[in-house]
Parts: sequence; structure tokens; C-alpha cells
Amino acid sequence: MSLKNLFGNWSAYRRGNEEGGYHRDDYEHLWGMAINLDVCIGCNACSTACYAENNLAVVGKEKFAKGQAMHWMRIERYWDDSEKEFPERGASFLPMLCQQCNAATCEPVCPVAATYHTPDGLNAQVYNRCIGSRYCSNNCPFRVRYFNFYSYYESSWPEPLNMQLNPDLTVRDKGVMEKCTFCVQRIRVAKDKAKMATAPGEKPKVEDGSFTTACAQACPTSAITFGDYMDADSQVSKLWKQQQVVRRVAKQKKENTDLRGYRIFEELNVDPSIMYMERVREEV
Amino acid sequence: MSGTVNRRDFLKMMGLGGVSATLGGCDLPTTVTLEEGKEEVTSYLVPEEFVIPGVGVWYASTCAQCPAGCGINGRVREGRVLKLEGNPETALNHGKLCMMGQSGVQGQYNPDRVTTPMMREGGTLMPVSWDKAMAAIKDKLGAAGDRVAWMTGTISGHQAALVKNHLDAVGSARHYKYETINSAVWQAVNKDMLGHAMPRLRMDKAKVILSFGADFLGTWISPVHFAGEYAKFRTHNGRGTLIVAEPKMSITGGSADLWLPVRPGSEAALALAIANELMNAHGKDASALSPEQKALINSHGVDAVAKTTGVDAGRIKRIANMLNERTPSLVLAGATVEGQADGYNAVAAIMLLNVLLGNIGNTIEVPGDLPFAQLQAAQGSTRDLVAFANDAKAKQVDVALFYGANPAYGAPDALGVKEALDAIAFKVAVTLFQDETSMQADVVLPAASYLEDWGTHVAAYQGGQNAITMQQPLMEKLHAETRGFGDILLGLLQAAKKDEYGKFADYYAYLRNAYSAMPASYKSIAGNDEQSWNAALQTGLIKVDAPAKTIKVAAVAVNAPVAEKDDTQYPLRLVASARLGLWDGRHANLPWLQEAPDQISKVVWDSWAELHPATAEKMGIKQGDQIKVSSAHGSVTVQAVLLKGVHPDVIAIPMGQGHEGYGRYADGRGANPLKILNPIQEKKTGELALAATRVSISKTGEHDKVVHMGSSDTQMGRRLVVTIPAEQLRRTEEV
Repeated sequence: MSLKNLFGNWSAYRRGNEEGGYHRDDYEHLWGMAINLDVCIGCNACSTACYAENNLAVVGKEKFAKGQAMHWMRIERYWDDSEKEFPERGASFLPMLCQQCNAATCEPVCPVAATYHTPDGLNAQVYNRCIGSRYCSNNCPFRVRYFNFYSYYESSWPEPLNMQLNPDLTVRDKGVMEKCTFCVQRIRVAKDKAKMATAPGEKPKVEDGSFTTACAQACPTSAITFGDYMDADSQVSKLWKQQQVVRRVAKQKKENTDLRGYRIFEELNVDPSIMYMERVREEV
Repeated sequence: MSGTVNRRDFLKMMGLGGVSATLGGCDLPTTVTLEEGKEEVTSYLVPEEFVIPGVGVWYASTCAQCPAGCGINGRVREGRVLKLEGNPETALNHGKLCMMGQSGVQGQYNPDRVTTPMMREGGTLMPVSWDKAMAAIKDKLGAAGDRVAWMTGTISGHQAALVKNHLDAVGSARHYKYETINSAVWQAVNKDMLGHAMPRLRMDKAKVILSFGADFLGTWISPVHFAGEYAKFRTHNGRGTLIVAEPKMSITGGSADLWLPVRPGSEAALALAIANELMNAHGKDASALSPEQKALINSHGVDAVAKTTGVDAGRIKRIANMLNERTPSLVLAGATVEGQADGYNAVAAIMLLNVLLGNIGNTIEVPGDLPFAQLQAAQGSTRDLVAFANDAKAKQVDVALFYGANPAYGAPDALGVKEALDAIAFKVAVTLFQDETSMQADVVLPAASYLEDWGTHVAAYQGGQNAITMQQPLMEKLHAETRGFGDILLGLLQAAKKDEYGKFADYYAYLRNAYSAMPASYKSIAGNDEQSWNAALQTGLIKVDAPAKTIKVAAVAVNAPVAEKDDTQYPLRLVASARLGLWDGRHANLPWLQEAPDQISKVVWDSWAELHPATAEKMGIKQGDQIKVSSAHGSVTVQAVLLKGVHPDVIAIPMGQGHEGYGRYADGRGANPLKILNPIQEKKTGELALAATRVSISKTGEHDKVVHMGSSDTQMGRRLVVTIPAEQLRRTEEV
């Protein structure tokens, strides 16, 4: 989105929250996820795959203690609220990453429109536009925006560790906010490939399953499903449909209330693009 | 460039703002290659062979980050390997890869790699040429005969064959295979009971899994494979139920429907009480059990066991009831059961449950024997570590060669590995990094990483499709002076047996020749050796058919496991827990794994001791207090972390930290609990009893903030992770 376009549609842009998102009907794709918490084992494979794919900086113990870790994908671990002596139902693991909200609270507060919504339904971050006000991070209910307090390239990749860096995306510098992109570099490659395989004049089709995000690819239990919500045949849209979870609402009205799909903090009317499926426990 | 691609598309293909692939002043893309330490800028108009600028190509290989042997695909771009994924062709890891596998690239590009051969001169290691180093080794090997020893980790494929051939050539049989994290006792029981040490576990068929300390989702045998099977277990057959009984919550325990804290050493009694209930209350057919085994079960009444283990009798009955109702099931035993002085009997007692429940031949299958016995995995154990220490101290070893094993770090102090190493006149370390063992070596040989080297692997645990997996270089050697392990072995063999091995120019030539010599049934393209070889490299594996066998259960004598007595001087039981991440300490130099929070405690970059809040309160210990943990053989000081997922009689300290001399990311962090273990050996197998050490703790008065992820342990009423009963799932989804 160009700045001109952005400022031209500023009022529509600001209304996003109340009206359930931008680009109401003109999305090209609407990338989304479904995460099955009943098979997530909290093993960290997704998180490490994200470090490898997205050039995430390792900050070290002291900065980690200050909450400056850069894990775009993190596994939160919660214990049941019970007063029991032991956690008899195990732990609750929650893979937390940017929810790519369709009516994102981080977007309208950016003074320079460095974070904006793409026609792919992605909540994008333009690094070279970002001035580091950190308003977006402050306004994110999921705490999934990470700020470069330092120039991590000076310390995180001592030679020859820098040779591992993924050349498909940048290393971010001090003063810039960053976050999960749904592996936009992979999306870009998939779209380019689809375009090249399509005759001129026809609409390119990105086949479901032809690519996925680094986290979903690594997940040993296949708890993460990624795909295009606009593609009715995609795994992810089938899962959403099966769970009767719909977009652009602040509260789901399910026919079958037993179904376990839900979106975290959807009551804030942010319209997240990730559906979680509830953890299940058997009484023994 | 073809005429249809315009400049803009071309630049897009080159990557947006690439880091090292920068754009030159004249808009021509450039690459940076390293040659003899000199940077040269080469135009992409003169591409290297097989390099398509800007396009990543995937090559199959085998992961070497743990002994499981998963298949990997490495993304190679501009001659560098950038990203590793699971190889979808393998039945073992079905396209998936764990955090340690993902981090293989950080070992490859680690700034602390050894880049040149070194030899000890005047007490310090000095760089030397390969010729000089190899000449010195050959000189020492010549006279040593049966006093030559190799120490490796779990090793398989042609590397294992060559190690054996090398020892044969010099006239020695001393191959010590050492792995701290193993399943040796469980395998010994299987061998006796089922006739096969490594049965195939059909978690996908099981309706209940009852695990006594087997952390199959994290650190047990083949975690990525089992995680995939576990997903099937949870999404098929009406959603399986997982019950985990262990002293300290593992990753597997974190996913349990029911997690039971048990004192190490009391698991077998619990299993026998469940068997008692199944046999007597539910009338389970016990004809497969011997009279002695039945008598053993009958001597473990539910109420008596409930009293000694502290597990509620009603709960034992409910577990038995569930196992009775839902068949087939699967019962497993892991490290904390094996790690007792009477570990064999404890594992055997637990295995009786599988016999009683009819799981043998159902969820426990015996795979056929794989062909090529010399390629099978020679699995590491701690018994070999003890044997090594004893033999070396008894002056039976003159020359020792180390590869993929670090006994100076991993051995308990009480084993005297330091004296053992001192007693060996000549030590050679083939290694990627300087570590505690290589620092004491007389010659250090810089090894190529597994991403730069040739090899074959045969996983000790095979998935649904038996296979020999291929390892091929994903890139040129990063450091010119490093040499592949196979090439080093071949060099040693050529000195000993010139006529037999002289014809091979390098290890690749040896492997290629070995493949050609395989029977035609191993060639995927009939009659074409070259194409079959290429196909094996492309898919990363050579499929091997070995039909499953029928099992006959042998009536193994199982003695009542002896529960250990309490010890007033050392009231707590120490569990040196394994981490998926730092593993046995070998990955402490990989920053991604240091910064990845422990899955249960969420602590980063350090060691800690897990204590139950009730135990801590009794001793006046608060979260973050530095405590001194002392055994009869030493002490370590670590930070206390209060967790409810620990038995109150247990203190758990994870392995992996406490390195001295393992590079910038590992050194000076935390403590190594293995050091203070009592040198107790399991009675039947001789394995080190890693969970049998008693300790006492005292406060040092110091206190530090615990650095961990997350500020809240509970959801504070927010709807973050919602939990539903299994009944509700069964109503709504086809599981």
C-alpha cells in the first residue's frame, strides 16, 4: 500500500475496527491458520524453525531477562488454576504468534503507516518506514511484536554464523519493530510460481499445500495447518468451516456449541486469522 | 537471462534485500565466495556448477543431531546450506524435524569450530599439518595392537563398519559406544522377553498409552517419529488416553491426560498393582504369564502399594479399569525406571502389563532382521563408559580415538574418567569443536560436519519402512582443513591394509563401491546402478524389506524390584533430566537451543533445580535461591525453580550445562548434574543408574532472578487455552 493510497483512504482505514476489517471484499488471499492444541506437545520445533527461517536474533540471557527476546513464534506454558498439589492434567501449551488480525489494533496507531494490511490479509510491517514509536506493540493484545532495541547483527551472528542467514529476507536493525509475517517470503515465492505457471489473462491459483510456513512444516505432530481462507477447498478453510468459526465477528454464533474451534481475544473485535482448537483431557 | 524476465522480476527473484547476496554498483548481482581466506567477488554471469543464483535447491541427507537418524532435506542456495527440514520420503520422521535437527546449521556455521589439526607440543595444542598428525597417529597405532580403543556415540552404516574394520586391522576389539541418553535396559528386557531388543511400537493402534518415565515425545529413542505416531493416537481410535507416571514432568508428561508423580524406584510396584487389579478384579487372561510372574503380581495388592507409593488406591483401580476396557494399549518404561540399581526387574515388571493386556503382537510388533549386520546401529550405553574408565585406569588402553563422544564432560566424577584419560598415553579426538575431552587429547583432528560429509545410517529404531538412509554433503567444506570422518577412517585403514583399501580415492569412492556391491534388490531402478545410486541420493534412502516376525513371549524370571531404603543424610532423590534441546550437553554451544525455553520450566540460558513448592517451603527455599545440591560424590550449585510437576521427594536438574571448554555459548553457564552422580550400576546390565543418586540441599544465601519466558503461570481467567472433556470431542469430531 502506497502512502498516497493509505492517506487517501485514511477514514476507511481508521474505521477498520468497528466495521470488521479492511479490504472488505477485495482480498486476493486471506492467509490463515488452524492450530490443534490437543496435539501440540510444546516441543519448540516451530519456534526454532522460525529462528532459522526468519533471521531472528539471539539476544542472550541478560536481554531475555528484560523481555527483549525476539521469538516471533513462542510456546506459552500454563498450569491449570487448580489448588491441587500436582498438575495432574499436564501443562497447557499455547503456540503464540502474530494473529494477522483482519481488524488489527496495531495498525491504526502507527503514526507513519509502517504497519498496514495487505490485500493478502496479512498484517505487514514495513521495516524501512518504521520509526520505532512502539505504539503498535503497546496496542497489541497478544504481545507478539518485537522491537529491535539493539543492532543485533553486531552480536547475534559472529562469523561464520552469518552464513546461515536466509537471503530471502532482511536482518532488521536497531529501532525497528518486527513480527511474524506468516513467512511472507514463502508466500511470495508460491505466488510467483503460480503466476509463472498460469497463462496470461488467467487468474493464478496457489495450490493448497504447495507451500507452508516454517512452523507448520516443522511441527512433528502437524498441529499447525496453514492456508488460504479464500480457497474453499483448502485444509484451513475446511477446518474453520467444520468448527463453525467465521471471520468478522466479535462473538461466534455456533450451531453446535460443542465444537472446539475458537479465536483468542476475538471479543476485542480484532478478527484474528488464527483459529485454535481446544485442548482435550480425559478424566481418569 | 531470457527475454521474458524483466529487471524488476529478476531482482525480486534475487531476494528482497538479501544479506550477503548484495547488489553491485553496476546492478549486477554478485556472490561472495571464500577461498583461502580471501574474499572474491564473482559475477553471477559465471555461475558455479549446479548453482542457480537466487534459487534454493533441496538435497536429502540424514540428521546427526541425536541418534534417532531422521531424514532431512537441506536447502542449498549459492553453495550454502541455509535451512533444514524433515525429509517427507522417510517413514521415520515423515517430513518433520525437531528443534535440535533445525539447529544443525548452527553447528555447521558455529564460530567455535576446530579448523586445523593440532598436536600437543610442550603441553599445549599447536596447529600442525594433516600429514604430520596422521603420521604421529599411525606411528602410535602400529605398536599398540589390542590396546587401541575407539570411543564413539551411537554409530551405524558404513562408518560403523569401518570403525570395526579398523579395530580388526590393528588387532583390537575395544569399541566403546557411549550415550548418556539411551534405552539400554528397556532393550535388554525386550531382548530377553520378546527375542528382539527394539520392537516396533504401534502408538497409532493404541487406545491407552501408559508411560512410566518414557519421554517418547522429547528424548526417548526417536522423538519425532513418536510425535507423529502420537498425533495419530490422539486423532484416531476415539482419541487415545495418555497416562504418564514419572518423578519429574517431561514433555510427554506435559501432554498427559493424567500425570502421576512417582518416587524413582516405585514405578514397578505401581505397575504390578495395576496388573494385580487386572488379573484379580477384572479376570484378565493370565495364561501367558509364568506361575512365578503371577505370584509376583499377586504379592502386590493395590492397597499395600497405594500405601508405599503414595498413589491413591482408587486411582490405581481406575487406571486398571481403563486399561481393561480399552484395548489394545501400550505400556512403556523409560529413563527414570531404567536408572535404578534394580532397573532391569522394574522394566520387566512393567513389561508384564503388556503381556497381560495382550499388547504383544498387537501394539508391540517385532520387526524382521535387517540385512547387512555390519551396518546395524551400534548403540551407545553408559555401561561402555564405565568399562572404558575401568579399562583405561587398569592401563589396558594405550591409544584412544574419540569421535562424537565427550566422556570428560558426561561421566560422573566418581568414575574417575579424568584419571582414566591421564592413564592413556596417546589420545586422538576427531571433532567439530573443542570440548572437555578433546582439550585433553594429544592430537585433535578437525572433522567435517555431517552437512559436509558422506555416510550411510541405519536407525536403531525403524519406522514403518525399513531403510538405510543416505548422508551426502550439502555444501563444500566450510573450512578447507577439515576432513570427513569416513575419510579419516579410510586413511587409517589404508595404512593398516593397503591392499584392501588402497584402491579407494576417498570415502565417497568407498561408499559408491559398497553400493554397487549390494544385491540387485536394493537398486530401485533395475539394471542401472548409476541411476539407482542417484535415486537413493535424491530420496535420501535405500528401502529395505524385512517382514515382521511373529513373537513368542519368553517367561522371563522377574524378581520383585527392590525398593531402595530412605537415607536420612541424603533425603532427596536426584533426577538428572534429559532436555529436548541441549540433549546430553552436546548442543550447549548452539545459541538457538540455549535461547529456546525449556518446554516445562521455560527457563533459558542456565541450569536450575526443580523442586516441589511443598518441599521448598519446608526448607525455606524460594524461587531463585541458589542452592547447593550435594551427593556422596560432590556438589553443584544451581538456582531453585519451584514447580508442581515434581514429586516432593525429588530434585530434578536438567543435563546439558556446566561446560568448561565448549565454546563461547556453552562455557560458564550453570552446572552439570551428571558430575555428582553416585557410580551405581544397574545390577543386570551394568548401565549407570542415572536416577539412583540421593542428595541433600542447602541454601547458599545467594538469590538471583530466574530468567524464563512468560510472566504468569496461569491464564488468570483469560480464554487462552480452553480445555474440554474428551467426551465432547468425540461428540463433534471423527476421531
